[in-house]
Amino acid sequence: MNTLITVLFLIFAAIILASAIMTVTVKNIVHAALWLISSFFGVGALYLLMEAEFLGVAQVLIYVGAVSILILFAIMLTRDLEGSQNRQLTPRWWIALIVPAALFSLLIVPTVMTHAWQLPPPPPAGQPPAISGAQQIGAAFMREYLLPFEVAAILLTVAMIGAIVVAFEERERRRRVLTLAEQVRLRQRQQQRQQPAPRPEPAATAVQPSEATGSET
Amino acid sequence: MPSITEAVPLPWVLTLAGALFCVGLFGALSRRNTVGILLGIELMLNAVNINLVAFWRYLEPNVVAGQTFALFVITVAAAEAAVGLAMIIAIYRARQTVNADEVDSLRG
Amino acid sequence: MTEIIIPPIDWRVAAQLSIIFGWASVLLVIALFVPRSRTRIIGYLAIVGVIVAAVAGIPLWGVNAETFSGMLRLDAYSLTLNWLFLASTAITIALSLDYLPRQGIERSEYYVLVLFATGGMMLLAQGADLIILFLGLELLSIVLYVLTGFAYPRIASEEAGMKYLLIGAFAGGFVVFGIALLYGATGSMNLRAIGETLARQALTPEERTYLLAGAALVVVGFGYKVAMAPFHMWAPDVYEGAPTPVTGLLSVGSKAAGFASLLRFLVEALAGEWQIWAPVLAALAIATLAVGNIGALTQQNVKRMLAYSSIGHAGYILFGVIAAGATDGVAGQRGVESVLLYLIAYTFTNLGAFGVLIALEQRGEAAWDMGDLAGLWNRRPWLAIAMAVCMLSLAGIPPTGGFWGKLYVFTAAWLAGMGWITVIGVIIAAVAAFYYLRIVAQMFMAEPAREAPLPMDRALRVGLTLATLGVLILGFIPTPAIDLVQRVVLGVRG
Repeated sequence: MNTLITVLFLIFAAIILASAIMTVTVKNIVHAALWLISSFFGVGALYLLMEAEFLGVAQVLIYVGAVSILILFAIMLTRDLEGSQNRQLTPRWWIALIVPAALFSLLIVPTVMTHAWQLPPPPPAGQPPAISGAQQIGAAFMREYLLPFEVAAILLTVAMIGAIVVAFEERERRRRVLTLAEQVRLRQRQQQRQQPAPRPEPAATAVQPSEATGSET
Repeated sequence: MPSITEAVPLPWVLTLAGALFCVGLFGALSRRNTVGILLGIELMLNAVNINLVAFWRYLEPNVVAGQTFALFVITVAAAEAAVGLAMIIAIYRARQTVNADEVDSLRG
Repeated sequence: MTEIIIPPIDWRVAAQLSIIFGWASVLLVIALFVPRSRTRIIGYLAIVGVIVAAVAGIPLWGVNAETFSGMLRLDAYSLTLNWLFLASTAITIALSLDYLPRQGIERSEYYVLVLFATGGMMLLAQGADLIILFLGLELLSIVLYVLTGFAYPRIASEEAGMKYLLIGAFAGGFVVFGIALLYGATGSMNLRAIGETLARQALTPEERTYLLAGAALVVVGFGYKVAMAPFHMWAPDVYEGAPTPVTGLLSVGSKAAGFASLLRFLVEALAGEWQIWAPVLAALAIATLAVGNIGALTQQNVKRMLAYSSIGHAGYILFGVIAAGATDGVAGQRGVESVLLYLIAYTFTNLGAFGVLIALEQRGEAAWDMGDLAGLWNRRPWLAIAMAVCMLSLAGIPPTGGFWGKLYVFTAAWLAGMGWITVIGVIIAAVAAFYYLRIVAQMFMAEPAREAPLPMDRALRVGLTLATLGVLILGFIPTPAIDLVQRVVLGVRG
């Protein structure tokens, strides 16, 4: 049984690290985001292996379900078409390689390996170890972690206000983006007007915000 | 009762977390693309969470501190990602002198 | 099913925080019913909330208590800082009331977000647990990212916001990794408990390395937030891109809050390791002083110059922080006092300086060039006087608040046995006076480069007057402020 867990751990570790390395090195940013999702899944599986079920589920729900999708949306909404040919790494990326490599090999590995961990004694045989689960976490949020819980709520509110303030700007100030339906209607109207209808120039749709705002509720 | 504490030594898990942190750090330092930098930062935060959960599981499994802190880290990461991606979109919009056609073609 | 019993809460400790967060949420709702043309009302209401919170703090003087299972603490130290944050918030809002509509970026959310930022700063000052420090830091940072990108007609503003966010999130990663290591090494996230663990057991060299690695990562993260060299690269760009009142808040509130929690962290949790961190921080302080002041020397852009100068001031404050950890009790006390006094003087001074820039800034054009200040004395004598007072204070020339701040910081460093470093600091301060005085010379000697009408709004005038008077009062009658910070000492050491 223990060998199985060891093997599983090694598999998960390989998935996490390999996907992470792909995330930071692949050229195409969409692929990078997909590799990131794979890494997130690996971390979630590792949590389950460590018997932190609630965190494993939260990891999948929040990271895989929300953050990754948000990232993919942002990429899709902002990707310029020739972007995939651009260099994705800074020209002096090898300098950026030295810092983490040094941090890892000189600081993290020696300290982690030499530290004398005072592990608690294993529970007596036949008795399940006392592991705090979702119930204990929920109770803790109402008791000793009440303040951080409230602050986290405020933090999320602020992030929501902030994202709205940043992303939804006043429409009269910047030319607004038409929805697909409005654009189709606009094109139809233009085609009716100029009969042997050539395909309308993209600029033509953009310079008529007055018509577009008219159809807006 | 098999458990990970007997099967995998704690330093292994911590080394994994450290390696993930450094990979994320490299990503954040080396990418030119803003989204790419954010991806690196998310990896760093995940590494921290592995650390926290490992400490909880190996050192004091009956205390919730490590797990709750990991949950707060996830919360903060999500909030930061939301604001960051909103900003990326806003900057992109301002830069492109908003060509409605192009932006929309990706949506439909 | 276990019944959930919420433990009793000492509301005195959380009173100011609750007022600010509650009022911010209420304003968010009120803003829905206020017509767009009268958004300014929200600003006035925000100032009212700030004043109420400040007054609510008066009966709390002398309280030394903690609540929320030891996570939130109220002592003289945090109460003094809370007042400082509230004062800087009120002045910032007053300076914004006119600036925002002039730049065409007035939105009610601005004032609400500024209040949330204040709450974040107060959490940093009151937090006694690494979880609260982390969440407070992130709350403050997220608000500031958004506020930095608030002047969206200028693309530089949004880009500055993005840059700040990336650097901030990166720094946040360091802080949280450091916290995880500290938790692993000591098994606790409470600052006092960590300090006690350190004091109780003789640590083996390996355990100490582990703890110090965690502490180093936390300090790196906070170093980014307070713009300490070599983690300062973001500051000039972000300060230049942000709307000017937000730059004021960034340079003052966020720096003070960062130092407040850094000081508490170092003194309460890591006092036992002073021998190790003091030399490291001393080297960083000298580097910060050098980078900030050399950068400021060559700037023609006044806003950028103030950004570099605020990096430099982080170096002086670091002197006080190092002294505060000293094992020698007198030096330690003097260190805490000096940090607070310096922060108070610096807050009023910097807000005043940015207030003058705000007054000069017209719609859609920046008046940040040295030339824009030329001959200000002939155009607007009061503005010129205010700017001159602030520049003298930043340079540390008596009779201004900045002088007392510098005096305290240097004596604290001297008492803590950092003789050479103090000497270097004094020399750099003398050199730095040059570029501050250059601005004064520009205003009083040079011919006006151009005539520009300068609309001055009442709120702006009040804010500017408050800041400048603060600097002067601190300079001429420093005893009340010194008395205040001298009582603080026990709070943070006890």
